[in-house]
Amino acid sequence: MSAVLTIASLTVREAVRRRLVAAFVLISVVLVGLSSWGFYKLSHGGFTSGESNAALPGALILFMFMFSFVLALSASAIAAPAVSGEIDSGVLLTMVARPIRRSDVLLGKWLGLTGLLAAYTVLVCGLLVAVVYWATGYVAPDPAAAAAYLLAEGVVLLTLVLLLSTRLPTLAAGVIGIALFGIAWLAGVVGSLGTVFKIGALHTASVFSQYLLPTDGLWRGTIYYLEPSWWVGQQLSAAPEAQGDPFIATSAPAWPYVAWAGVWLLLVLALGLVSFERREL
Amino acid sequence: MELSKRYRNTVALDGLSMTVERGEVFGFLGPNGAGKTTAVKLLLGLARPTGGEAMVLGAPAGDRETRRQIGYLPELFRFQSWLTAREVLVLHCRLMQLPRPRWAGEVDEALQTVGLADRGDDKVGTFSKGMQQRLGLGVALLGEPVLVVLDEPTSALDPVGRHQVRTIIRGLRDRGATVFLNTHLLAEAEHVCDRVTIISKGRAVATGTLSELRAQRPTVRLQVTGLPGGWWQPLAGFGRWTEAGDWLLVEDMAPGQVPELVAAIVSLGGQVEAVVPEQQSLEERFLELLGES
Repeated sequence: MSAVLTIASLTVREAVRRRLVAAFVLISVVLVGLSSWGFYKLSHGGFTSGESNAALPGALILFMFMFSFVLALSASAIAAPAVSGEIDSGVLLTMVARPIRRSDVLLGKWLGLTGLLAAYTVLVCGLLVAVVYWATGYVAPDPAAAAAYLLAEGVVLLTLVLLLSTRLPTLAAGVIGIALFGIAWLAGVVGSLGTVFKIGALHTASVFSQYLLPTDGLWRGTIYYLEPSWWVGQQLSAAPEAQGDPFIATSAPAWPYVAWAGVWLLLVLALGLVSFERREL
Repeated sequence: MELSKRYRNTVALDGLSMTVERGEVFGFLGPNGAGKTTAVKLLLGLARPTGGEAMVLGAPAGDRETRRQIGYLPELFRFQSWLTAREVLVLHCRLMQLPRPRWAGEVDEALQTVGLADRGDDKVGTFSKGMQQRLGLGVALLGEPVLVVLDEPTSALDPVGRHQVRTIIRGLRDRGATVFLNTHLLAEAEHVCDRVTIISKGRAVATGTLSELRAQRPTVRLQVTGLPGGWWQPLAGFGRWTEAGDWLLVEDMAPGQVPELVAAIVSLGGQVEAVVPEQQSLEERFLELLGES
């Protein structure tokens, strides 16, 4: 375990020294700063309180959607070089010859990168909740649960890219990870369309995709905990086809699905450990 | 034993067999691409053999606990450029699970030994290739390893650095450590190795002390007067005769035949003015063996 913690702390220290943490903080401040201005204008821009109240949940979900992409890109960018980059440069060669398991190295990296991603998510979500409340007085129903789902989405992608990084070059691992994330999101949209237009095949394909890569399924959890029930009711009564809106979730992810996402994460992590263990250096 | 490694259609090792005795400086010589680094990686468990097996310090190659007693300097490597030299050494003390009170002493000693005492707090990213190689050597020396595997340890070093490495290797031998020196630089092996194995195309083609390797086909240079006509017929069996000015050269002699040869010349009525045993250089022997393989 001490080797895992050594590698995890090394991973975090690298992020600090290479100014990744500084970049995260800077991006967070810029993102939240701009959004606070937007939320303030939305709340004090001459709309009626009813109009601005109706717009706020949607605007918050839209911001979080943008941040989920930033988080996914960040997860992919930090995980892709974690193994393959260090194999190519020869950094890992000196470390794995020591009396440690290769799984210690991979678990340590996973732990360190997950910690960074968690800190980034907490920072952005925390700041956002604070500034939205300051600017508008609005608080989403369960921002902590929404942030947890968002983080889970990022960790799922991070774990997948880390697995890819044990076998593929850095660029390929990163690009494939992002592409799969985009495809999974699109499959979710397609599934929503399938629901609206009652095309069973599209809905089935979407469900299959959500089990294959649970990023979009978890993103639905983020949406659900950001939207007040009155707002969902308002949207659906105004336009019943809104149930196909990719930014509305009519229900929280079912617990078997959340459990599957956990199992998926463990399976992919285990696959990564086996893959790295068997990799010739 | 009979260690083999194949990468798709390329045979890197083809039944390599050799034994390294404890406490010796063992040279592993071969041209580029002979399979030296592959053999080292198999011994450290960084790659798996496709055939055969190897034992290192009494345990199967790659055994995790055994790696605690091994220091390794890879041929192509880098340390974390954002760490200082001292931090790199501390990291490896941690990974080796050395007791924390020993870290400071180990780090200072390693920096001192490899001549980086005044650069310990500088970032590795500011180091030249040679300095990184020195640091790599320092990392390999941490924790008083029983076996030190050095893969081309002087490839980036200047003559002063090379001399220092030889001194370090002799120091390791003096304290009873085994040194496995992987190199294509014959002069390096000639300076420090007790025994060497020459590897070519993934197979060991010769093993022995340097003098054993050189003496396998002795050559003698002779200055002789008074030999009768047709003298070479009774002497032809001693080796391959050639004339070189005033000298006669006898190549490919069987070991220990020089006194017999001199006696035979004298019995023919010749007067032996000079007998000069020619020491075959390691390079000549090396090239000869590679040619044969």
